[in-house]
This record gives sequence, structure tokens and C-alpha cells, in this order.
Amino acid sequence: MVSVVKRMRKLQAQLLFIRSGPGAAILPPEVARIHMDFALNTTKGHHGAKQFWRNHLIRLKYHNPAVPMTVNRTEDASGPALMTLHFSSPSGNTPNPSNPSESTEIPTTTQTIDMRNLESSAIFAQLTALTKARVLRTDLEDAKIGQDLEEQEARNNRVRELMQAAMARRKREKAILAQARGEVEALKNET
Amino acid sequence: MASLTPCLTQLSRMCISAGGGTMPHRISTQILGPALQIRYKSKDNKPKASRSELAMKAKKLVEKRKKRKPRTTFRQYDLSDGEQFALCDAIRYIRAFEVGRAPTSVKYEISLKLKTLKNGPVVRNRLRLPHPVKTDLRVCVIAPPDSKFAESARAAGAALVGEDEIFEAIRNGRIEFDRCICQTDSYAKLNKAQLGRILGPKGLMPSPKLGTVVKDPSLLVRDFIGGAEYRERLGVIRMAVGQLGFTPDQLARNIKTFMESVKKDMGLLSDKINKDITEVVLSSTNGPGFSLNGEFKNSKSDIQPKDLSTS
Repeated sequence: MVSVVKRMRKLQAQLLFIRSGPGAAILPPEVARIHMDFALNTTKGHHGAKQFWRNHLIRLKYHNPAVPMTVNRTEDASGPALMTLHFSSPSGNTPNPSNPSESTEIPTTTQTIDMRNLESSAIFAQLTALTKARVLRTDLEDAKIGQDLEEQEARNNRVRELMQAAMARRKREKAILAQARGEVEALKNET
Repeated sequence: MASLTPCLTQLSRMCISAGGGTMPHRISTQILGPALQIRYKSKDNKPKASRSELAMKAKKLVEKRKKRKPRTTFRQYDLSDGEQFALCDAIRYIRAFEVGRAPTSVKYEISLKLKTLKNGPVVRNRLRLPHPVKTDLRVCVIAPPDSKFAESARAAGAALVGEDEIFEAIRNGRIEFDRCICQTDSYAKLNKAQLGRILGPKGLMPSPKLGTVVKDPSLLVRDFIGGAEYRERLGVIRMAVGQLGFTPDQLARNIKTFMESVKKDMGLLSDKINKDITEVVLSSTNGPGFSLNGEFKNSKSDIQPKDLSTS
């Protein structure tokens, strides 16, 4: 296995990414399920949906571990990109008839967001408006960790530059030496 | 996973305020310390060493190099440098990393780091987990097709049973199974068929050493279906221990069974060989690895196991 320090440094950045940032929000208890439908191909306006899944949905899932969140990706990029929000009790102004599979347990209402041609941040804004989710800000401790990581990265970059310069110099010297040796050999052969 | 840089820029742009949920795990950067070593020529402030002194130094260096022996055991790391997680916290992070993925195709994995010799015997076995991870395994049984063993193997769920027709199929490159078992009486016939060159590299060749040549294959078939194999490679044992859809309790039971089995195997090795488990890491198909501390639930965090049981 890789050394613990190396592993931890990477893990630390990944966990920070998932704890805080756009998408970190606490959903109210009425939200029963979130389902996303979009295409595998992102060219025809499905890009924002994919970005939302990759960046926002994982944070949302971290802060709301009990809410089921599913993603279904279709082959057809000309189809719709929809997000369906299931609420356990009626809320919002346009309650649709609940879908049959859910209705056996708890009566649910659903609302949809059309994600086509929307940026991921716009999708998140619509989601928070519909669900009245509480958006979390980065807290002090996480900000401190973020700052530390940033400083470390800057330090690493400085060292990287130094090392690159040193290695280039070494390589140059070696090349010069090799060339000189070659010339000596050539002279010897001539005589 | 997105790279570090955009995440940091987002953070620095964001307004800073206290609050939010309880977040049990933060690894302080102080513990981690600098990971990089800088090697470059320092500026010469010291008085220059004399020629004889330099020669002495060079001599010492050569001696030191001669003394250094190659490492015979796998390298161990100081675990106090890193954070360890309770099972439920690790599951919470992993479920977030795997959001939107199919709950049956994404697997939880366990890696056991061992303290062991590089050239000693390796731990290798198979076991039946209380909650099987992979259930669609195709097993091939080599036995005379009209014997009672063939019948019982078919009843136990073997996909292919037979002798000559299977040999012929394998020679033609049709290997439609993931495991292969041989009945003791058919073993000579199998050896005569010379399939070792085809099956050997795939790890499918039955051999008494591995326990895949048996008197009654039906018992083994039952073990294989819903069973799992593990072996030690480079001082680490890795195995899939669960599907993403498993509840924390199910996963904990599987991990416990796996660990007990590995410990038993280590005990069965000869007295001279001493192996120890030094670290247990839980990871998943797309997620990072979390070093486990052996607890089920962190007393400080408010996460409930039933919250982690939904799809």
C-alpha cells in the first residue's frame, strides 16, 4: 500500500471537497427521494445535469444520507433531462398525481425540474427554491483545512520548479560531457 | 473526482462562517507534516573540507552502502500519521461518493495490510460470506456425465458438467465458466487432456493443492456459488465484501467473517511464520480508501445506521 501520509493528504482533499462547496445543503424532512434522468452524451444540453450529479449531488448525499438519490442515464441525448423530487407530504403549488410504485407506502407528490440547457448552479438554485433546503456555508475548520492544503500546494509547486531547474542543469552538464568525450574519441581515432 | 485546485478556489471564494452539521472527521495538517524532501545544492557557507577528509567521507559512504541489506519484509507505516474512521462514518462518505450508481454493481472492498516476509508463504483461501457479494458465478465440474456426482453437482447449481465435451470446448477457446472443479476419478483424464497451458494462466486449472480436486464436487459447488476467494499479494489481502446496497449491519457481519477467516488461516501457517494484520482499509469501486479503527459507530457523530440503509 501507499504510504499513510501520501494517502491521507489525498483523502483530506477529497473529504473536504465532499463536505463543503456548492451543493452542501440540508433538505427538509418532507423530501423523500430525488431522481435524475439524463443522457450519457452531454452534447445536447445534458452537460449541466452531469455536472450537477458529479459536484452537487454527492455533497447533497453526504449531508442527507437518508434520502435516496438515484440517477438514470439514457442513450438518447435528444430526450429530456429531468429531475424528479418526491415529497412525502403535499407541498408546493402544483402537486402531480404520485407515481404508482411509491403510492403503496406513503402518499407522495412529485415535482420536476427541467435540467436541459441549464448550468449545474442554476439547477441547484431551482432545487433549493423548490425544497426550501438550508444551504450550508463552509465552516471555520474546513476553511482552515482548505487554506492549509492551498499553502501546501503552493509549496509543492515551488519545490517542483526548483527540482525541474536542477534536473535540467544536470542533464545539460551530462550532455556537454558526453559531447566532449565523443570529440576526444574522434581525435584519438584520427591519429 | 475533481482535482484539488477547483475545490480550493471555490472555498477561498466562499464566505466563511461557523455552523453546519457535525462533521466528525478532520485530519489536522499538523499531524501530516511535510511529505516532500528537498534535495538541491546548498550555498557554500562552510569552510571547504580538505582532500583527506573528503576521501575519508567517501570511504565511509562506500562501507555504509555495502552494509545495507535488501529489505526482507514489506515496509510498514506509522498509522498515527493518519486518521482512522468508524465503519458508519466511512460508509457515509462512500455512499456520497457513489451516489447515483447502481447499488448492485458497486462493491465495497476491504484491504488488509499484513506485517509479513516478502518471500514466505502467502495466505490464500476462500470463504462463504453471510451475505454473498457475487451470486452469478458459473462453475464447471469435470466428472463423468452419467455418474451420481455429475447429477448432484448439477443439482447444486453447476453450469457445466462433463468430461470430453468440456475438454473439446476449452481447446476451441470456449471457456464459459469462472471456476473449475474436478472429481478425483476424472483427474487423470484431465491431466492427459493437457489443458494446463490454457487453463493454468487463467487460474482455472483444478489441482489437489488448491482443494479443487475433490471426491464430491457438489459440496464445493455450493461453496463456490456465493463464495469468494482471497489471496495475499505484496503483503496485502484484498477482497470485495459487499454491495453498495448493503446495510451497515450486513457489511459489518461480512467484514467480521472475512477477518476471522484470515486470522484462522494465519494461525494455520507453520510456527516459524508470523503474520499480523496492521491495517484495515475500506474502499469502494469509485471511492477513496478509509482506514478503519474497528468501531461500528462513532460516538461523537449523529449518524444512524438506519439512515445508511436506504438506497
